[in-house]
Amino acid sequence: MRSGVPAHWLLIALPATVLLAFFVLPNALLLSASFLKSEAQQLTAEPTLDNYRFLFTRPLYLEVFLRTFAVGIAVGLIDIVLGFPLAYFLVRSRSRFKGLLIALSLAPLLASVVVRTYGWYIILNRFGFANDVLLNLGVIGERIPFMPSTGAIIIGLAHALLPYAVLTIMGSLNGVNPNLESAAMSLGANRTRTFFHVVMPLCLPGIAGGFILVFSIAISAYATPAILGGPATQVAATAIYNFIIQLLDWSLGAALAVILIVCSLLLLYAAARLGARRAAL
Amino acid sequence: MNARIFSARWRATSGPWALLCTVVAFVYVFSLGPILITTAVSFNQTNRSFFPPRGFSLRWWERALTPEWLDPLLFSLKLGTFTALLSTLLALPLAFALYRYRFRGREALVALTLGPLMLPTLVTGVGLLQLFQYVGWREHIGFAALLVGHVVICMPFAVRTVSISLQTLPPNLELAAASLGATPVRTLRHIVFPLIKSGLVAGAVFAFIHSFTDVNLSIFLARPGEVPITVKILGFLEFGFAPTLAAVSVITLLLPLILVAIVERVSGLGDFIYGDRRG
Amino acid sequence: MADPALRLVGIEKHYATVAAVAGINLEVNEGEFVTLLGPSGCGKTTTLGLIAGFFPPTAGEIYLKGRPVADLPSFRRDIGVVFQDYALFPHMSAAANVAFGLRMRNVPQPEITKRVADALDLVQLVGLGERRPLQMSGGQRQRVALARALVINPTVLLLDEPLSNLDLKLREEMRIEIAAIQRRLGITTVFVTHDQSEALVMSNRIAVMNAGRIEQIGEPADIYERPATRFVAEFIGRMNMFAGQVTPARTVRTAAGTEIDLPVPASIVTGAEVHVAVRPERTRLVRDKPADGLALRGALRQVLYLGATREFHVALDAGQRGLVETPNDGAAPSFETGATVWLAASFANCRVLPAPS
Repeated sequence: MRSGVPAHWLLIALPATVLLAFFVLPNALLLSASFLKSEAQQLTAEPTLDNYRFLFTRPLYLEVFLRTFAVGIAVGLIDIVLGFPLAYFLVRSRSRFKGLLIALSLAPLLASVVVRTYGWYIILNRFGFANDVLLNLGVIGERIPFMPSTGAIIIGLAHALLPYAVLTIMGSLNGVNPNLESAAMSLGANRTRTFFHVVMPLCLPGIAGGFILVFSIAISAYATPAILGGPATQVAATAIYNFIIQLLDWSLGAALAVILIVCSLLLLYAAARLGARRAAL
Repeated sequence: MNARIFSARWRATSGPWALLCTVVAFVYVFSLGPILITTAVSFNQTNRSFFPPRGFSLRWWERALTPEWLDPLLFSLKLGTFTALLSTLLALPLAFALYRYRFRGREALVALTLGPLMLPTLVTGVGLLQLFQYVGWREHIGFAALLVGHVVICMPFAVRTVSISLQTLPPNLELAAASLGATPVRTLRHIVFPLIKSGLVAGAVFAFIHSFTDVNLSIFLARPGEVPITVKILGFLEFGFAPTLAAVSVITLLLPLILVAIVERVSGLGDFIYGDRRG
Repeated sequence: MADPALRLVGIEKHYATVAAVAGINLEVNEGEFVTLLGPSGCGKTTTLGLIAGFFPPTAGEIYLKGRPVADLPSFRRDIGVVFQDYALFPHMSAAANVAFGLRMRNVPQPEITKRVADALDLVQLVGLGERRPLQMSGGQRQRVALARALVINPTVLLLDEPLSNLDLKLREEMRIEIAAIQRRLGITTVFVTHDQSEALVMSNRIAVMNAGRIEQIGEPADIYERPATRFVAEFIGRMNMFAGQVTPARTVRTAAGTEIDLPVPASIVTGAEVHVAVRPERTRLVRDKPADGLALRGALRQVLYLGATREFHVALDAGQRGLVETPNDGAAPSFETGATVWLAASFANCRVLPAPS
């Protein structure tokens, strides 16, 4: 090597500093704040575990955890149930419009989650589409408040995160050799058995990866629960916002944020173990 | 060959494939329905989010183009553009270093680079707010803080796309250029850079869109007068709604859509969608 | 006396625990076509990379026209390289690819245009200058790669198995063509391959490499007719190897006890383990014991029909095996499997090679 600073240090110096200063450092601050007591809306320097104790013992917050978790699982399941047929169709399709169809399935990602959730707001609120249709069809006698509710949150999130499931599963399916299905058929398996014995098992890593991705985004979602939910249906993200912006309680807000971080890291680990695709860097 | 014959036989015998198509159609309706409904509502004549829409009117679109909404929209455009530029500028040397060199700590650097993608942007937003308050940069909360936060969460996209471009370079190109007399700088300029252009463009586009559509980070780092459009819409929803919101929403969908359509035509984004190497 | 175009002195390249190149000394004269021939892993591609300057040697010196270049990076050496995968720049047309080296040397544009046209003409790609590599066949890409390396008039032309990605017919055509172009232009050339027929057809001299060293270097006929070691003998063509020991009478006694009375080189000591080597096509199968020359008895195991030739696989006494190759002159072979036969050859066609230690 030439003398002087190795080239790679020069190249990574600036970007790495930016990431360290504005990504690692803030998270480190959060971590430390979560172990500090707050008084009169000010962070003190007193170390304590009370923040976590508080969050894990108050029924209100246990409910928040439970709801967040349940929403995540529900959304994950819905999205892989809806996403898998779509992904399979798109990968195996020989239609001229395949590119267009793929684009259509991913297009919702171009809209902010706020915008997509607003659509459900229009549909689900008391004077909205769903109620109008049901009333007109005579299915119900008077308007149902579909929102704010956990169910509405689940529907809204499932809708918003579906493209992520589709992307992940498509990515995995693309790696499956289509000749395998022909091979199975030639060995005597009919379409159903081929599907369940050959196709499905090979898709499982992609499906699992899709579930984990959707789950991890769902548990930290803010906008959809804020719009389609209310004070009675808090999730982790809305609780954090509440703590920090409204109550100015940095200790609890930080603690809850750290819990979210830990969950994300655990999910990452699970995904990696499943052999789900890693970004190529 | 086999697969084509096979799926033709699938379709020819209806049954499973037709069933699949039906399910898929339903999923598309579910996926695109709310967006179409929002669009329809934006043309409502009355001041309620009725659907089916009653009457046709452009008044909400007129309202959407007043300063109340145009200002945040332009703010988001400005923020997104700067984010895209900075993200790509920072991503380029980083991706190149990761591609070219094997060094101690490389794995850690990869983790650091992907970190903002892996952790919830909400948390990054909270952390940055705390950081800015802690070091006394309160007055920079707003555009500056938003820019910093957006660059942090958008840089991984650019690093990814540039990395993909670099990895699809045929292996001996740089050696060939050197053997023909090109210095390392000239090799970069004439050979490497032209071939990674599409990765740079894709990275910039993804970064822009991610910034333009971000909510979770922006809610913590905005301040009155320096509010991205998504945060503005979110705030407005707390006061009930109006079809104006629908019109604004459609606009915020159209802008990235047009951008993507143009870039796809000119440069091609397909290779970068999966986020890893395609043949 | 003029400096040789290329000279390698004590070249070594070590990677961690492996010595890819363990000591190479080589002189290539102006206008010569030298082939580095050997199996994968023998160090031939590494040697080429060292000459090209893609990485520095661990030890030794490289001289291009008398000038030491081991410390010079690739772009300061006056070389032209044709890669196995051609390494054409995908975003440039064929003509732009060929022009690249001239551009890097700041040749004025009108001259570039002319020389590129001449180069494309030389490799018979007239009219295809504006095509992109992706729109060309493998053979066409290979010609562009060749033109690109030739147009700059390098001191040494380096080719790294350029024909291995082509199908057989094309490979055979291209080897003759490349050799013809090289002879015409007189450019000093180092060619790397594992294919011995390529080496035999194209080279002025062949350097047979094994485990990071050159085992033998010489003209093709020399290498083929007079291999110096067992490795070289078996790597080029096929060779019968009959194990034995040198007797005090300076004959070779085989394991079967047969005494072969052929001249043993003075350099091989009495009692040494040796192989008597003879090419299958220089042997013949006879029914009765031949009067003189090499005579080994055995049973015919198998006859293989290969169209132009026939192969007779013989199980010789004491477990040795022999191979006799005969041109197919249209007559049916006169031996049946299982018959007792004699493998015969004249001593002039036999060599005594030391057994590897």
